[in-house]
Amino acid sequence: MAAPESTDIHGGTTATTEAESGGLPQFDTSVWGGQIVYLLFLFVVLYLLISKVFAPRLRRVMDERATTISSAVATAKSVQAEAAVQAAAAKAEVAEARAQSRAMAAAAKARVTEEANARRAAEESEVNARIATAEAAIGQTRDAAMANVGTIAADTTQAIVERLTGTKVSAADAAAAVKGAA
Amino acid sequence: MADPIEQFEIHPLPGMTFGEVNVPVLGNQVIAFTNSHVAMTIAFLMVVLFLTAVTSGAKVVPGRLQSTGETLFGMIDGVTDSIIGHEGRKYFPFVFTLFTLILGMNLLGMFLTFTATSQLAVTITFAMLTILLVIGVGILKHGLGFFLLFWPSSAPLLLRPVVGAIEFLSFLLRPVTLALRLFGNMLGGHVALKIFAGFVVSLGAMAFAGEGLGLWALPIAALSMTMVVALTALEFLVAFLQAFVFAVLATIYLNDVVNLGHGH
Repeated sequence: MAAPESTDIHGGTTATTEAESGGLPQFDTSVWGGQIVYLLFLFVVLYLLISKVFAPRLRRVMDERATTISSAVATAKSVQAEAAVQAAAAKAEVAEARAQSRAMAAAAKARVTEEANARRAAEESEVNARIATAEAAIGQTRDAAMANVGTIAADTTQAIVERLTGTKVSAADAAAAVKGAA
Repeated sequence: MADPIEQFEIHPLPGMTFGEVNVPVLGNQVIAFTNSHVAMTIAFLMVVLFLTAVTSGAKVVPGRLQSTGETLFGMIDGVTDSIIGHEGRKYFPFVFTLFTLILGMNLLGMFLTFTATSQLAVTITFAMLTILLVIGVGILKHGLGFFLLFWPSSAPLLLRPVVGAIEFLSFLLRPVTLALRLFGNMLGGHVALKIFAGFVVSLGAMAFAGEGLGLWALPIAALSMTMVVALTALEFLVAFLQAFVFAVLATIYLNDVVNLGHGH
């Protein structure tokens, strides 16, 4: 197509456009065909691009995001459950340890009291034995002393009688006399 | 004042006119690469670039850009999934293409002097594409059972033909309303923007030239400027909202035939 020809047509179209535009230029249908065909072409191209490229890409990213979020939530949930289990286990352990220590304390207390009781009993018996020995020794001493009292009394009697009367009294007599006086 | 309609004119790029063809319905067609084609191409490339940037380095923990893309993606995914149900994923690419392409063209119109979606030819193409897909899916899935769509089995028997006729008429009007809603919103918004912006310039010029209202024109110019700023913000909202509305309505119409007779 030659250049001057096209400018001629160009001039002609503007003339028709202005001639027919009694109202709005949009109602001049002589320029509709080109716009309609071109718009249909653009529409089809954009439709293909969106349906084959853009929409699948965005859907993939959105799906990926959804799975990422859901898996993260699932992980967090499982971790939380594990933590709860561990916390329960720790609690049970603490309770067990507490019970054990309480039992141990009770056992220790019982043992200590038992020991104390036993020691006291042993000491008591020892003391009692010693008291008994001491009492026995006291009794012996007293008996010996009592036995000596007779001899002393007889001796004393013998001496008194000898001093008073000047006569010697036999030990046997003195003893008999002391016995008779007692 | 600048003509607020001028921005909607279609101009072939210099040296990009390739001839004329006669088409049955539309009449003589000029084959040319026009400013509308440029706007559509830029919008298309921006959508492709954006989606490439979003998805090429997609990570499990998204960055800002990926978050934006995933929000748009998730929004349309939620719409198709909640309206159509488990089969929604099959129709997601179509609805998402509609949404991103319309959104791209709407938003681009906020930065260029030309808005592709303010062209009736463009919105009619989107609407016809949607409704032809609806009819195609309906006939492929249900055969002649597709026409049960217009047979209100819950209405009293006597009223059914009447209600059915109304249903049929409303079905025929669906592509029209789809196309006109988007077209009207874009057209109205950009006309209003242009008019108020024109006020700012012409009243400002009037004030500085000391003609007409003189200095009294300044407050009106300032008020117009405020309107332009407010309308610009509103138009950004409308640009997004209309794309979303188109996508939601397309999904609802698709659902009618996908889940035909399942009761809604």
